[in-house]
Amino acid sequence: MIMIVLKLTKIITITKEIKIERRGHMKLELGKFNVKDVLFGEKTFFKDGVLTINKDEAISFIKEDEHITDVDIVIAKPGENTRIVPVKEAVEPRIRPDGRAVFPGVTGELAMAGEGRVHALKGCSVLGVGMHWGSFGDGLIDMGGEGAKYTLYSQLINICIVADTDEEKERHEQQKKNTAIRMASHKFAEYLGETVKELEPEEIDIYELDPVTKRDEKVDKLPSVVLVMQPQSQMEELGYNDLVYGWDMNKYVPSFMNPNEVLDGALISGSFMPSSSKWSTYDFQNFPTIRELYKEHGKSLNFLGVIMSNLNVSLEQKIRSSIFVAQMAKSLGADGAIVTEEGYGNPDADYILCLAALEDVGVKTVGISNECTGRDGASQPLVTLDVKANALVSTGNVSEIIKLPPADKVIGELESLARDGLSGGWPFDEFLGSSVKEDGSIIMENNGMFCGDMIAGWSTKTMKEF
Amino acid sequence: MKKAIHYINQFFAGIGGEEKADHKPEIREGLVGPAMALNEVLDAQVTHTVICGDNFMGSNTDEAVEMILGFLEDKEFDIFIAGPAFQAGRYGIACGTIAKAVKEKFGVPVLTSMHIENPGVEMFKKDMPIFKGGKSAAKLKDDVKAMADYANKILNGEKTLPAAEEGFYDRGIRAQVWLESGKTGAQRGVEMLIKKLAGEEFISELPIPEKDLVAIAPPIKDLSKSKIALITTGGIVPVANPDRIQSASATRWGRYDISKMDRLKAGEYKTIHAGFDPAAADADPNVVMPVDAMKEYLKEGKIGALHDYFYSTVGTGTTQAEAARMGKEIVVKLKEDNVDAVIMTST
Amino acid sequence: MVKEIERAGIPIVQMCNLIPVAMTVGTNKIVPTISIPYPLGDPQTPKEVQWKLRYHRVGIALDALTADIDEQTVFKVKI
Repeated sequence: MIMIVLKLTKIITITKEIKIERRGHMKLELGKFNVKDVLFGEKTFFKDGVLTINKDEAISFIKEDEHITDVDIVIAKPGENTRIVPVKEAVEPRIRPDGRAVFPGVTGELAMAGEGRVHALKGCSVLGVGMHWGSFGDGLIDMGGEGAKYTLYSQLINICIVADTDEEKERHEQQKKNTAIRMASHKFAEYLGETVKELEPEEIDIYELDPVTKRDEKVDKLPSVVLVMQPQSQMEELGYNDLVYGWDMNKYVPSFMNPNEVLDGALISGSFMPSSSKWSTYDFQNFPTIRELYKEHGKSLNFLGVIMSNLNVSLEQKIRSSIFVAQMAKSLGADGAIVTEEGYGNPDADYILCLAALEDVGVKTVGISNECTGRDGASQPLVTLDVKANALVSTGNVSEIIKLPPADKVIGELESLARDGLSGGWPFDEFLGSSVKEDGSIIMENNGMFCGDMIAGWSTKTMKEF
Repeated sequence: MKKAIHYINQFFAGIGGEEKADHKPEIREGLVGPAMALNEVLDAQVTHTVICGDNFMGSNTDEAVEMILGFLEDKEFDIFIAGPAFQAGRYGIACGTIAKAVKEKFGVPVLTSMHIENPGVEMFKKDMPIFKGGKSAAKLKDDVKAMADYANKILNGEKTLPAAEEGFYDRGIRAQVWLESGKTGAQRGVEMLIKKLAGEEFISELPIPEKDLVAIAPPIKDLSKSKIALITTGGIVPVANPDRIQSASATRWGRYDISKMDRLKAGEYKTIHAGFDPAAADADPNVVMPVDAMKEYLKEGKIGALHDYFYSTVGTGTTQAEAARMGKEIVVKLKEDNVDAVIMTST
Repeated sequence: MVKEIERAGIPIVQMCNLIPVAMTVGTNKIVPTISIPYPLGDPQTPKEVQWKLRYHRVGIALDALTADIDEQTVFKVKI
């Protein structure tokens, strides 16, 4: 009897959900479970704020991908004197109670993201860490001490997948796809999310925007704003770039997306961008600038949505993307736009081009990015400039030199910072020596701090004239 | 007790006004004029005052600077302060000139002060902290105190605040700061947009600097009689990277002999430039460093000579200062080898 | 670097893809290339095609060295 009742309830719930879908109303319910501690134990489950993981089962799960040849799972907590390097990816553990993939097109089948219920384990992150080998886009995290302030991840409990792979071809390449370790991170994040699939969330955040043309008069009257996001897509060979619904963003032209899709797993991070400028998958899932626009929606602005662009390499491709961006903004009737780029250097050209193109069609812009102002702080901060870009937020300088003492514990391999071509490290320099000293202390550029410039909008760090 | 030396002009030294502007440089032991006010607020003993007429410095700059540097050679001092110069143009330029020269020769911190309309500000603000000074000598005490407060921080090894908070003109040096206000990048961005849309004032965190153009070099008259050199910032180097040029933030360059080849061979040369896909360059380095095309033009006689070496470094993340230094070093070599013109490829 | 060389009176042409960058930096003579990873030869095209493009654009650059200009100029290429 009970079984039948439960089955009926399920059918009714599913019907309700389909009905909602048909109305075309993008409402995302993010159910939050606050993780206060993560431990290893007999079973993998979540209770009273504690996530317990059966390490052997977890390792078996990760090893289902044959490309992973050796793996360990290590937990790093805030305040510990622990250094983690090379970090390739960060993912917030989540699950969809209705069985859809957390990362459609990546961890499972394609389905529209951005509406319905998703559950998230807050306060923690899965990290994909190389057991030995690093690459250009990998970064470093210090969980405690002076180095902690340079990344967000020192504030989270990090469940580190420390792995070695059979990816021989790129073993000694500076640019690596890091496919196995990155994919392991997404899958494992979903695996851990299973622990809260059937549970009731402590809190539910609602992200809801009415269709653009069907908004309240009151909201319509407010200045309308789009967020233009430029995820990195510079590599022409597939496998390195950010993905949207599993599609490589190098082979992509800008489109209009609902911000919920970004918050809900439609995009995953890639493996190319110098680390401090990177948007990890965790960044996409929690994008502070999107959440801030949501906060102001209906109060001081009308948040229309996201124009998702990209960052391709040739001038022609950059111009083409800026045309799409400007046209969409114009046709949507946006009064203003925030443009934000996942990168520095070459991508600055796309950033400035979009800002100027938008201003040219009458859309007032603000940009959010970091800078590459040189170790002396005196170089031109962006590679191209335009006086039309008169409203910019700067979240840091990739070139600043950071010196840190040795850490008690290293997760991964410290030498990778100096040896493997990470953007913020080097093997030899006449004045500074190697990035990794014999005693374990390090000297590096901010460039190598994992998602350190928090371009997604997390931090109070900015740039000032000295 | 640390030591300081103060530079002032003939007027503030009490020697005279316009009619004494040709006053030759001199150095006096002890405090003259505003040096007394400076000494009172400085955490250092002002041991000497250097005096020079504004016209003398303006019309005989090299001589004046040489003389003053000469006076300072046997003196011990930890900091050198000039002015304040208020709106006096010649005085402001003089302060900037001598302070810059002292910094370059003795490596001590230097600073000065002048009013925003003083032409010395634009000329020297990149070379030293120039404090935002008043229009006239009525502001002397305030201007001196502003300089001294900052100087004291430097002398005591204390951390200094951003230029705007300390009170000097932006000098083009930017550094990371964690805001006490606790406003995140997302909040600052959205707030800035709301203000801009409402037509309200806002302050950009990344001001767009002015363009810095260079005079166009005279064009080559006859290519067939000219020696051309090739340079690249695309990081093309022999596969062993013998000069250990960095893949980013380069501080080193190399030059490689191409006199005995028709083109760069894959497997012998590659790119070490990080930040772009190296596949094409490694497979055929000539797509970045077109040695083959140049050799063809040489054969045809379109160019008189191709320089035996090509020069290479990496462009990504390299600071302007390092790039300029490398450029200057390469220029020396180019001139030594009588190179008439350059083609540079960038990635 | 381009500016240091030009400052010394040696005429220089910069071949690059990101024209806006060169313009911002202040380079005077610019010849466009086809991309960043392969400025003078698309690996997706036959070697002959690549060679023709490279030869042509380098030729334009050489001619640009002789051009008498009075402002920043981007020289046009045919292939």
